[in-house]
Amino acid sequence: MTGGPWWRIGWRNLGRNRKRTILTALGLAVGYIAVVFMVGWAEGITVELIENATSLVSGQIEIHDADYRPERSLYDTIGGREGTDVQALLREITVDASVVVAAPRAYAGGLVSSGEATSAGSLMGIDPEREVVLTRFLDPLAAGRLPTAGANELVVGEEMAQQLAVGVGDELVVVASGADGSLANDLYTVAGIYRTGLVEFDASTAVMPITDLQTLVVLDPGRIHEIAVATTDPSAAGETADRLAAALGATDRGIAVAPWPELNPVLAEYVALADSLYWIFIVVIFTIASFGIANTMLMATFERRREFAVMLALGSSPGSIVGSVLYEALAIGFVSLALGAVVTTPLMIWFYTAPPSLEWLYGNVTLQGALLTPTLRVGVNVTAWTWATIGLMLTALVAAFYPAVRAARVPPADTLSGL
Amino acid sequence: MLLEVVTSVTDMRSIATALTTAGLLATAAPAVAQVDAREIIDRVDRLLRGDSSRGVATMEVVTEHWERQMTMELWSLGTDYSLVRLRAPQKDAGTATLKAEADIWNYLPKVDRTIKVPVSMMGGSWMGSHFTNDDLVKESRLVEDYDVELAFDGEDPEGVAVWEFRLTPKPEAPVVWGSIEYRIRQSDDMPFWAKFYDEDGELVRTMEHGEYTEFDDRTVPGVMTIYPADKPDERTTIRYEELEFDVGLDASFFSLRSLQRRR
Repeated sequence: MTGGPWWRIGWRNLGRNRKRTILTALGLAVGYIAVVFMVGWAEGITVELIENATSLVSGQIEIHDADYRPERSLYDTIGGREGTDVQALLREITVDASVVVAAPRAYAGGLVSSGEATSAGSLMGIDPEREVVLTRFLDPLAAGRLPTAGANELVVGEEMAQQLAVGVGDELVVVASGADGSLANDLYTVAGIYRTGLVEFDASTAVMPITDLQTLVVLDPGRIHEIAVATTDPSAAGETADRLAAALGATDRGIAVAPWPELNPVLAEYVALADSLYWIFIVVIFTIASFGIANTMLMATFERRREFAVMLALGSSPGSIVGSVLYEALAIGFVSLALGAVVTTPLMIWFYTAPPSLEWLYGNVTLQGALLTPTLRVGVNVTAWTWATIGLMLTALVAAFYPAVRAARVPPADTLSGL
Repeated sequence: MLLEVVTSVTDMRSIATALTTAGLLATAAPAVAQVDAREIIDRVDRLLRGDSSRGVATMEVVTEHWERQMTMELWSLGTDYSLVRLRAPQKDAGTATLKAEADIWNYLPKVDRTIKVPVSMMGGSWMGSHFTNDDLVKESRLVEDYDVELAFDGEDPEGVAVWEFRLTPKPEAPVVWGSIEYRIRQSDDMPFWAKFYDEDGELVRTMEHGEYTEFDDRTVPGVMTIYPADKPDERTTIRYEELEFDVGLDASFFSLRSLQRRR
């Protein structure tokens, strides 16, 4: 099977029935467009999911004492019982180029009460200045302002505020177990109310400046439970975490550096599942398209039975006939790809840079601990894109293979004699 | 004998009324081991109802991270009401817990506020000890919620004649334990220890009794120590310094106003 003439014949044959050629090419092009958009959109959701889940409260990397997770004991502070030089540690972390910001946190369990109502709560101590850069849940607040250190102020979730029937300016009693065994308790003023959209979190977490929480539960200023880290690229959090662990000498210091897939394995699993779904998209869509191509090519070759008979009678090998039909299919593939690219490229660029919001249609959605604002945002997945292109070409070739073989088996004498 | 067992079960699970109940042991008429369970429950109820007490105890809590000693004054009425107020340490003096039927309130003198313990925190630690709030609330239900059987009748390694009883929850009983084992001294019905198991049969904690002392003409275990099974180095010990019975309290004493009295 030599290339030259058969390739030209295949290409020219596209012009014999232009309507049919265009329809066939459109079928493949639409399949290609569908794959590119579905994968792009799914990728967009995944990327947004990761960004949202990791920037709402948790951060993309969390650093703890090696014993802290999963029990989250009040006593397992970074650096153990003696604590650590928090400012120095923060500086060491921020040196890494991928680190945007690092913020210290302390946690304690307790009761939050107002009047008759009491709820079991988790107390979170933060550095307000750093926290607003790191996470989104405190900025903007649903009401009020951030708490001032040393003023016995806190912010609570909207759900907790409702359960306790308090608003900004109201007073709350907080009770916790002190690190010295005392029944730590004090009065606080609600400075603000936050809303993450994560109902459970909003119902259970009261946030105050880290120094205030340390004072309440009798922890030294050097004793913190967590450093949350925001990075420039959430998808590279694993590598950044490894680099930080090495730079900090994590193993020797007894601290653990965990990227978000480790902290939120459900989300990581979801991302892996979404990735595997792309292949299913590609296979299903191109399988459907292949039947359309096969049908058209069967028709086209049947119409040209006499032509094939003449070619065979003149001494063309059956392999050349197969080649010409496959080249024809390949040519359709290129036309389809060109069509698809012309349609998808500008739309993908638009959806990537300025995704139209679908909030009017769905409202906000909470998924895997992330608050999603539905948009037509797409993500770029070069691998899936490449495979969609290869899939399109393969579909055209595979679908044309049977018609090509049929064409090559046309009995020349019978056909030409009109049988 | 079952009567005493059941009574001491109640005793072991309680804090404030522990001694009151234990005190009843000494005055209870000796019974035969094969006593009908219904009758026992009847008598326990009758004995517990309306009986009041007042006492002073120290509570020592030892954990991996800290040790604390508290002195507290306790009042109780039957199994439904109790009031505990801390006298020492100075920092926490006046902190008090009121149990009235199924509810628990804590009074916090520092902020002068009373907090009702929410249902979700009933399993939480009481005053930082190894007792839970549930231990206060559920004491009255133990007799109704468990079936009692004699598991052992003989001598312990020291040659003391003892009984061991096994308590298993009745179907649908709202209890936290899968089963409880008790060892009781036969000669004077004094409890030796109790072991509390979860639903998988894992030991959760052990309560030991000792220093049987006479208070107000009743012999009772003067000390009880609770050991959590998962933290072998930790314990909570309650030691009675004073105890008197039938002190003439009624339900009105166990009010939020009494709770908030600072001393």
